[in-house]
Amino acid sequence: MNVKKFFELAKERGITASQLVINRSKCSSIETFNHAIENYSIADNQSAVASGLFEGRYGSVRTDRIDQKTIPWLVDGIIKAAKANESGSGTDFFPGSPKYRKKNIYNKSIDSIALDDVLKNLYQLEEGARAKEPRITDFNASFEKVSSSSEFYNSHGLKLVNKKSSYYYVVALYARNGEELRNSDQFDFGIDPSKMNLAKMIDEAIKDVRSQFGGVPCESGKYPTVIKNDVFASLIDYVVSAASSEQVQKKSSFLAGKLGTKVGSSKLTVSERPLEKTPFFSYFDVEGVARYNKNIIKNGRLETYLYNRDTAKKDGVESTGNAEFSGGKIGIGYGTIFVKPSKKGFEEMIAPIKKGVYITSIQGLGTGMNSINGDFSCQASGFMIRDGKTCEPLTLITLSGSLLKMMEDIKDIDSNAVLGLDGISSPDVYVRSMSIGGK
Amino acid sequence: MISRSLLIAALNEALSTGGDYAEIFYEDTDSESLLLDNGKSEPPALSKTSGVGIRILKGLGSVYGTTSDFSKKSLLSLAADLAKSFEGERTIKVETISKARVGKVNRVPDPVIEAPLEEKLAYLRKGYEAAKEYDERLVRIMASLSSTKSVRNVVSASGPNAIESDNVECRVRLSISCVASDGKSTETGRMGPGLACGWKECQAKNDPAEIARKAAKKAITMLSAKECPSGRYPVIIANGWGGVLFHESCGHPLEASATSRNLSIFSNCIGKQIASPIVSAFDDGTIGGAFGSSNVDDEGVGTHKNQLIKDGICVGYLVDRLNGRRLNMEPNGTSRRQSYRYAPTSRMSNTYIAAGKDDPQDIVKDTKLGIYVADFGGGSVDPSTGEFNFSACEAYIVRDGKIAEPVKGCTLIGRGDEVLMNIDRVGNDLDLGQGYCGAASGSIPVCVGQPTIRLKEITVGGRGGKLE
Repeated sequence: MNVKKFFELAKERGITASQLVINRSKCSSIETFNHAIENYSIADNQSAVASGLFEGRYGSVRTDRIDQKTIPWLVDGIIKAAKANESGSGTDFFPGSPKYRKKNIYNKSIDSIALDDVLKNLYQLEEGARAKEPRITDFNASFEKVSSSSEFYNSHGLKLVNKKSSYYYVVALYARNGEELRNSDQFDFGIDPSKMNLAKMIDEAIKDVRSQFGGVPCESGKYPTVIKNDVFASLIDYVVSAASSEQVQKKSSFLAGKLGTKVGSSKLTVSERPLEKTPFFSYFDVEGVARYNKNIIKNGRLETYLYNRDTAKKDGVESTGNAEFSGGKIGIGYGTIFVKPSKKGFEEMIAPIKKGVYITSIQGLGTGMNSINGDFSCQASGFMIRDGKTCEPLTLITLSGSLLKMMEDIKDIDSNAVLGLDGISSPDVYVRSMSIGGK
Repeated sequence: MISRSLLIAALNEALSTGGDYAEIFYEDTDSESLLLDNGKSEPPALSKTSGVGIRILKGLGSVYGTTSDFSKKSLLSLAADLAKSFEGERTIKVETISKARVGKVNRVPDPVIEAPLEEKLAYLRKGYEAAKEYDERLVRIMASLSSTKSVRNVVSASGPNAIESDNVECRVRLSISCVASDGKSTETGRMGPGLACGWKECQAKNDPAEIARKAAKKAITMLSAKECPSGRYPVIIANGWGGVLFHESCGHPLEASATSRNLSIFSNCIGKQIASPIVSAFDDGTIGGAFGSSNVDDEGVGTHKNQLIKDGICVGYLVDRLNGRRLNMEPNGTSRRQSYRYAPTSRMSNTYIAAGKDDPQDIVKDTKLGIYVADFGGGSVDPSTGEFNFSACEAYIVRDGKIAEPVKGCTLIGRGDEVLMNIDRVGNDLDLGQGYCGAASGSIPVCVGQPTIRLKEITVGGRGGKLE
């Protein structure tokens, strides 16, 4: 797209300030199922989000069709959206941050990965897994490589580009023990293929699926509860969302009024690190503000809300570089999230627990979470803990609680931190008491 | 949007290495979402989704590629790249394209997206005002109206004459969310009716004030709710959106994408009893104006009313073209996708348990102690194990045949095959609810439905201890 023409036409039509973000991505993937190619796909897509000020009001529009008709369509869309905007949000555009921490996240070697080689890998993984665990009935594996770029332009002349690439391996294996079918999904992803460890991914999947056989519900009640790293990551995601200044300002966050106060155990530190070299890296937000690493919760104390320029202005503070497109307006988003691990091992952490529950998987959090008050209830599975050791598997139980109470009741955290596909890295966490529903 | 000669050239390029079926899906979808947040109009979300998806099948092999570039060079290059993944000689040369007869399930003379913004904002404002007047403990009221107009074309070839189906689908969804706070607790209530209809019909069928009052009532009711007990209890599920339980726990495992690979609890179950004999169920993409209806599916097959369960016996699956090959079954108009960015696969449209004979009031009257779920937030299922979960956003205790105090934080969990066998009462008050279903081919509009039903016993999760 001719960027210069967009700004010229926008100005000509009375749009006093404007911005254009163009995203491009190329993706190839291959999927196998039971030693045969299940699917192969390629995608070459682009999209543009244009925004501007018309008669002092903000409007924005998005398209993934970019051709000669796109520029007038975008300009008309901005005007239409701005006319309907009564909120007063987005009153100007950003001239630029003093410093940007750009990093090279684009890895040519990912582009050159040949899918034929990947296919051999996937087949070898399957053969290895089936040899180790004969009860595997079905084996689904996939690989995807993505290269993408995000270009930011505005009428102040600010131009920023973020180019990156990443790879993803995902396996799902299904195993049957008599009538009981269980499955496990595991992944390996990153920006540096030399660091991938596919054997570990398969071993984890086999270990996980084996451990689920024979699961039953436990008695309903309150138990000391250990939450596995990726499960705690899903829960902490809602805590970080609640730190959105927009939700706080609109009385829709359980963290409202808690800035500078204790919201959790002193063991809990949660930070946003958009500048870490991960597939989620980004050094500028959608307003062009430089992103930076920061603590959100430090030793249990809420250090900051997450701001875009508009919400920052309302609170009399600076943007924290957390602007993200949200429908037609600028909302709040965040990059990679880290929950700080300790140096303690998992076994050491659970050793003092006489009788407790270890939650290794949850389902239904999307609908089971009330993101406004932080109360949740969802399906779960895991293991009983007896005399400091994990014992019999549990399935079809529920985990219920309140995020604030859960954070307050954190008794310990281990060293076993893993970065998940959702961009959140968390260790395993031991919570004093949580409600488990079962028999 | 794409010339016939280019479509034929791209199909032939796709079929050059022996593919036995090629399909080009191209769309141009305009979306608009208006939001009144506490009475003020936020900038509307306007977007265009426009692109092409090419799929080739060869036996059970499938390849799929997408591009948002409609140029000749781009389409031919995409088709050629995809064809490279097969080895073989051409068996089909496409020469002509014929138009398919497309049903008229959804007739929309006046798409909501094309109606004046001022009218739509005034419509939303009625909802906001009604909620605002309902109770002063409502601290945030959001009223939104999302509408789409999607021009979707599918050209498919399994012989020299390709078939093209041209289709236009228009949908609208009104959503009202209320946040209530009494200083101690904060609760929410939401209503979100959706239709495949035009602006006049939308206004006639969905009164924003009435819908807003229902959402407000839910939020206010939940302020006084106690924590839900946990354990195994009889559960009555209200009609309409309560059908999401059937959708998740049984509908997904009946999709051919799961059954064809033996990854469903209902694989190889045709002709077998999978539900209580009082249960019959359908997936019907032909209900005029319903949110999940379509004139034609995303493989170009006309939509159908498919019976899935008859008197407890499994009589059908939702079958798309690829998984139909695996099952040796014909596709039945249930292949859907969010957009060109997704390959199509078997999905639900309007899925419901058919009406039974019981008076819903009798079902409550005949229940001594249990839970009444008036509304669900949603849920999910693992089709391979059948294990599902649902979160109730409005629930009550049933005591001595009466609906008693409200409870919050209520989750139902179980297995799809068990829950179907556990239905012991089916009411005569069938109704549909609307929502979006997310799965392999993206997020698509659907209806779920059922009459009031009772489950003999199911695991309920909550923080309120034992039910007494």
